[in-house]
Amino acid sequence: MKLESRLWLRALYARMWVRVMSVFNEPLWIAVNIGFPFFSSVGLGLLYASTGLRSFVGFAILGGIMISFWGNVLWSMASQFYWDKQVGLFEVYLTSPAPMTAILVGMSLGGVVNTVPSAVLVAVAGWLFFAPPLSPSWLAVGLTFALTLASLYAMGMMLSSLYLAYGREAESINEALHEPVSLLSGVYFPSIGNFSPFPFSVQVFASLIPLTIGMDALRRALFFSQGLSSIYLHLIALSVMGGALLLLASKTMKLLEQKGRREGTISVRLR
Amino acid sequence: MLSHELELRVEVQNLRREFDSKEKKVVALNGVSLKVREGEIFGVLGPNGAGKTTLIRILSTLLLPTSGVARVMGFDVASEPEKVRAVINMASGSERAGYDYISARGNLWFFSQLYGLPSEVAKARIKRLSQLLGLDDYLDRKFYMLSTGYRQRVTIARAFINDPKIVFLDEPTIGLDVMTAMSIREFLIKEAKENGRTIFLATHNMAEVDAICNRVAIIDRGRILTSDTPTNLKRSLGAPALVMEVSPLPVNLAFLNAVEGVKGFTTSVDEERGLARVQVVVESEECVTRALAGVAASGMRLVSSWRQQTTLEEVFVSLVGRGFVEREHEVGE
Repeated sequence: MKLESRLWLRALYARMWVRVMSVFNEPLWIAVNIGFPFFSSVGLGLLYASTGLRSFVGFAILGGIMISFWGNVLWSMASQFYWDKQVGLFEVYLTSPAPMTAILVGMSLGGVVNTVPSAVLVAVAGWLFFAPPLSPSWLAVGLTFALTLASLYAMGMMLSSLYLAYGREAESINEALHEPVSLLSGVYFPSIGNFSPFPFSVQVFASLIPLTIGMDALRRALFFSQGLSSIYLHLIALSVMGGALLLLASKTMKLLEQKGRREGTISVRLR
Repeated sequence: MLSHELELRVEVQNLRREFDSKEKKVVALNGVSLKVREGEIFGVLGPNGAGKTTLIRILSTLLLPTSGVARVMGFDVASEPEKVRAVINMASGSERAGYDYISARGNLWFFSQLYGLPSEVAKARIKRLSQLLGLDDYLDRKFYMLSTGYRQRVTIARAFINDPKIVFLDEPTIGLDVMTAMSIREFLIKEAKENGRTIFLATHNMAEVDAICNRVAIIDRGRILTSDTPTNLKRSLGAPALVMEVSPLPVNLAFLNAVEGVKGFTTSVDEERGLARVQVVVESEECVTRALAGVAASGMRLVSSWRQQTTLEEVFVSLVGRGFVEREHEVGE
């Protein structure tokens, strides 16, 4: 194997390992990660069940699973480099030969692993409490889930690069993005298609968010047995979005690194 | 081996770096040139705001120069950063670069992977570095549980984990207790001597430079004022410094500027004893007599006076006319 590929893989694995171990060495973090999506989906599940919308109960549980990943992308991916910059870790990355794409992909894979316990708990508890009606096409579900995560974390990488340009505003940006994206992407209810409560223009805008496309495809595949032939446009859209965001993240990172070297903003940190 | 036969590791020519602030353009480096060779511990000494950190950031590829050339191992830091990064490492005394919930060992392993080290090699290096830095018993503690001193030892170990040819250190012992600082200095000397590593040290700690540096460049307001071995720099002053304790407070020492042979002076006030301690850099013995006579002529009382072995502080005073602390206040203003 070429030297560059070895370095890329080692850096990726190491960054993933650090992310996973950091969370699993601090049990409180696991509890925090599980708490929010679990209680939100149970709450909505109870509401849907009590109002007779039984088919929507499954949407609430699926939403709880996917919101865990969205929260992880926003809070642990997007603003990570900002925090790394504050303590001097970003300088360590930059002055090493490790490719920044390896660090970003490692961070993403670590984030996925860290979020799995929360997603599994919501899925198991939801199924035990509510036993929602399922009519799955498992191949389509698996492929959609993988592509949704890929494009979601590609978006995280893109945001991560952009956040380098920000200072303390990073946290406010997260706050500002979290709820609107959750609403528009229809995590707990269909936000695009025939059952959407939004006007067409909002649906078009919402479709630019990978999570929206992923949620719609997952609902179709999990609850309405739609196979690959029915949701292939969703899958193409997710692949294109993921690829484009990955490319954009890599370009943005290079551009911002160069800008930081020119303007002297890479090493600004809290003392 | 003659010094010019040793490999040239760092070469800087007429380096300039400007920063744009809202009010004005700040010149952090103004025409800096220097050469550093294999196995040297090279100190850049200057007060806060002199341009030391800017120089280190340029050499370690974190910052681009406005003009001039900087080469590390022959690679241009501006156009070939990837090649530079493969042979250097850096650490700063003000960083806290480590993951809190990972052990010191885990952190060091992680950093080794950023250089693509096979795990076995990384483990052997961690073992060696931790022995040299007295970290053995702390390797399995989580990073946040380590004291400042041990965290800094981890940081120093990190800076050597990739077996770099050149290590850039920015105030590596700042805020550390005497014993920790001493053990880090011993480690640096050993690394330079035994492994031929070049250590580029930016600091405002004169005792540190005196203790470990083969050569030192004194920098102020972005310019290198002089560069030589610490011994030669101190020797260049000729006579030992004069220290006078004068009272009553406040003292007016303006007369010293007019005394022939006085190269500069620094003052510190001892409120408790009601006197000022004045350190005067003198050119010759005759100048000492004139300075002491000037105290009486100015209506002040000379409480005591003595001669003091020349330090790098006096070298700085002789070049700038002010001490480090006064200069830092000026820069701050």
